[in-house]
Amino acid sequence: MDVSLFVFVSLAMFGIGIIGVLINRNALIFFLSIELLLNAGNLLFVAFAREWENQTGLIWVFFVLIIAAAEAAVGIAIFINQFRTKQVVDVDQYDVLRG
Amino acid sequence: MLYALCLGLFMPLIGFVTLLSTARYVGRRQAGFIGCTTIFISLICFVSLLISYVYTGASPQTYTLFDWIHFNSINANFALHLDPLALLMTLIITGVGLLIHVYSVGYMDHDDDFARFFACMNFFIFSMLLLVLAAELLLLFVGWEGVGLASYLLIGFWYQKPEAAEAATKAFVINRIGDLGLLLGLLLTFYLFHTTDIVIVSNSVETGFTIGAPVITLLTMLYFVGATGKSAQIPLQTWLPDAMAGPTPVSALIHAATMVTAGVYLVVRMHAVFTMAPMTLQVIGIIGAITSLYASLSALGQTDLKRVLAYSTVSQLGLMFLACGAGAFYAAMFHLTTHAFIKAVLFLSAGNVVHMMHGTTEMSKMGGLSAIFTKTHWLFLIAALSLSGIPPLAAFFSKDLILENEYLVGYEFLYYIALAASILTGIYLTRAYCLTFTGPQHLDSDQHDVKEAPSIMITPVLILTFFSIFGGFIGFSIGRTPWLEDFIAEVDVTYIEKELTTDFIWSYEGILAIVGAIGGVLATALVYSKFRDQLGKPIEFLKKSFYFDEIYNWLFIIPLKSISSWMAQKIEPEIFDGSINILAQGTQGVARALQLVQSGQVRAYVAWMALGAVLLIVYLVY
Repeated sequence: MDVSLFVFVSLAMFGIGIIGVLINRNALIFFLSIELLLNAGNLLFVAFAREWENQTGLIWVFFVLIIAAAEAAVGIAIFINQFRTKQVVDVDQYDVLRG
Repeated sequence: MLYALCLGLFMPLIGFVTLLSTARYVGRRQAGFIGCTTIFISLICFVSLLISYVYTGASPQTYTLFDWIHFNSINANFALHLDPLALLMTLIITGVGLLIHVYSVGYMDHDDDFARFFACMNFFIFSMLLLVLAAELLLLFVGWEGVGLASYLLIGFWYQKPEAAEAATKAFVINRIGDLGLLLGLLLTFYLFHTTDIVIVSNSVETGFTIGAPVITLLTMLYFVGATGKSAQIPLQTWLPDAMAGPTPVSALIHAATMVTAGVYLVVRMHAVFTMAPMTLQVIGIIGAITSLYASLSALGQTDLKRVLAYSTVSQLGLMFLACGAGAFYAAMFHLTTHAFIKAVLFLSAGNVVHMMHGTTEMSKMGGLSAIFTKTHWLFLIAALSLSGIPPLAAFFSKDLILENEYLVGYEFLYYIALAASILTGIYLTRAYCLTFTGPQHLDSDQHDVKEAPSIMITPVLILTFFSIFGGFIGFSIGRTPWLEDFIAEVDVTYIEKELTTDFIWSYEGILAIVGAIGGVLATALVYSKFRDQLGKPIEFLKKSFYFDEIYNWLFIIPLKSISSWMAQKIEPEIFDGSINILAQGTQGVARALQLVQSGQVRAYVAWMALGAVLLIVYLVY
C-alpha cells in the first residue's frame, strides 16, 4: 500500500484531534482528543517503519505509548482532583494558573 | 630588645582593647589604673631600651615581626625600626603621655565615660608609637591614620556639644586632605623604589637620583603636604585651634606628645630624601616661617586661653619646619623635644584653671587668679618664660639653635621672620599670663568656690616643669658634643649642621634673640601692669586669625554645599531616580502585556501551540 494513504489518515486524525481539543470543553473528550493526536503520530511512525524497513520507528511507538499511558494517569488524576473541588468537568473552569 | 620593643608598642593597644571591652563593668578607679599602668609599662620598656641602647652601643636595627603584604613585586613587612630618633620620640610620647594620663584622672573626675576616654587616649599613644617605630612608610601610614582617628574621637569626646562634634569633623576632614598627599607620596615611593622601607629608600635615593631631580621634588612635596595636614601648617592649619573644643588633656596630648609632631617627625625621618630636593626644603622653610609669624600674630588676638596656646603650637611647629627647611633637622628635633614638655605644662596648667573654673576658657572672665592658683600660676609662668626663649630655660637653647642655623645657612630674611615670631612668642604668652593670673578678678557669682587644683593635677605638671627648665641641657654643653646630638648622630640628621653649628655662639644675632625675648616679655608685662585698663579689645583681624576660616568658607564650603544641594534637589531625583523609575515602569508595562498570554485556559494554550507549530512548519517549508 502507498505510504501517502497512511500520511493522509494520520493528518486527518491529527486534525480531528486538534479540533477536538480546541472546541471541546468536556475534560474527558479533551483527553480523548489528545490520545488521538498521539496516535496520529504513532501511525506515521509505523507507516514509515514499514516503508523504509527500519525498526527504529517501531521502538519509538512503544515510547510514545508508554508516555501516553503515564500522561493519561497523571492527567486523569489532575482532572479528578479538579472535579472534586469544582464539581465540573469543564476545562475552561480549570483556570487557577492564570497569570 | 625585641620583646621590650613589642611590649612597649603593644601595651597601650592592650590597654585600649581591655578598656573598650570592659567599659561597662570597670569603675573609674580601675579605668584610670588600666589607662595609666599600660602607658607606664610602655615607658619602662622604652627607658630600658634607651639604657641598653646607650650602654651596649647598639646600632639601628629593623625587626620584622611578620610578612604583611605580599603582592606581585610589592612587599611590605610589619617591621619596626629602632634607632635613636625613634627612641627619642617614643620616650617623649610615653613620658609626656603618662603624665597627661595621670593628670586626666584628676581632670576627668566629673565625667561619665571614664573608660572610653582612657581607651581613646591609649589608642592615641599606640598609634603614635606605631607611627614613630614603623620601618616602612606603609606601616607609618597606618599609625598616621590611627592618630587621625584617635584625635577625631577625642576632640569630639564631648559629642553632646555641637562645637566639639564640628571641631572633630573639621580636624578629620582637613587631616584627610594632608593624608591624601602622603598616600600619593606612598604610591610614588612604591613606583620609584618598589618598597617603602625607610632605610632602603634613604639609601637608594642618594645613589639613584641626582640632587633636585623633579620626581624627588614631587615626592618630597607630597610628603610635605601630609606633614602640613598633621602638623597644622598653612594652608591646613585651621583645624588645630578649633580642636580646643576637646578636653584639655587631649589638647595637651595632641600638642605635646602625639599628632602634631608627626609631621615634623616625618620630615626628619625622611631627611635623606628631603635633602635631595633643595626646592622642597625652600618651600618648607618659607611655609614654616609664614606659619610661625601668622600664628604668633593670631595668638596675640585671641581671647580664649586655650586658643592662645593652640596658635602658639602652630607657631612653634612653624619654627620646627623652618629649621627643617634650612636642613637643621637636629635643631628641629631638639625644639620638638623641649616644646613637648613646655606645651604640656602650659596646657595642663591652663587645664587646672579651666577645670577649677568649671569649663571657662575665656580670659575675660579670668584675671587675678594667681591669688587662687598659687602653684599653678608659677608653673604656667615658668613654661611661658621657657617657651619665650629666656635663658637658661629649655626652649631658649633649641630656639636659639634654630635661629643660628637659619642665619648661618644664609636665609637672612627667614631668620628675621623667625626672630619676629620668636619675640612675639614671649609677648603673647606674657599677655595670656597677665590676662589670666594678674589684675582684677572677674569671677562670676557662681564661681566663688574656685580653688587650687588637687595634687593629682599638680604633680604631673611639676615633673614636666622640671624638664621645661632643665630640658635644654640635653642639647647644650660647653666644650663637647651635647648629649642629644651625640645620641641622635647615628641617624645622620646632624650632618648638615656639622658644617653649621650646634654650639651656642655669642654673635650679634644670638644676642638680638635674647634681648628681643627678654624685652618682649618685660614690655608686655609692663603694659599689662600699668596700662591694663586703657587696652581695648584685641584687633578683630588677629582674633579671627586673618579670616582664614571665612576665606575657606567662601572658597570651598559654600560652593561645595551649593553644588551638593543642587545635586540633591535636581540631579538626584530627576536624573538618577527618574531614569530608574522609567525603567521600572517600562518593565511593568511589558509584564502586564505578557500577563494576558497566561490566561490559565488550557485550550488557549493548545491553540497557541498549534499556531506555533503551523508557523514553524510554514517557516521550515518555505
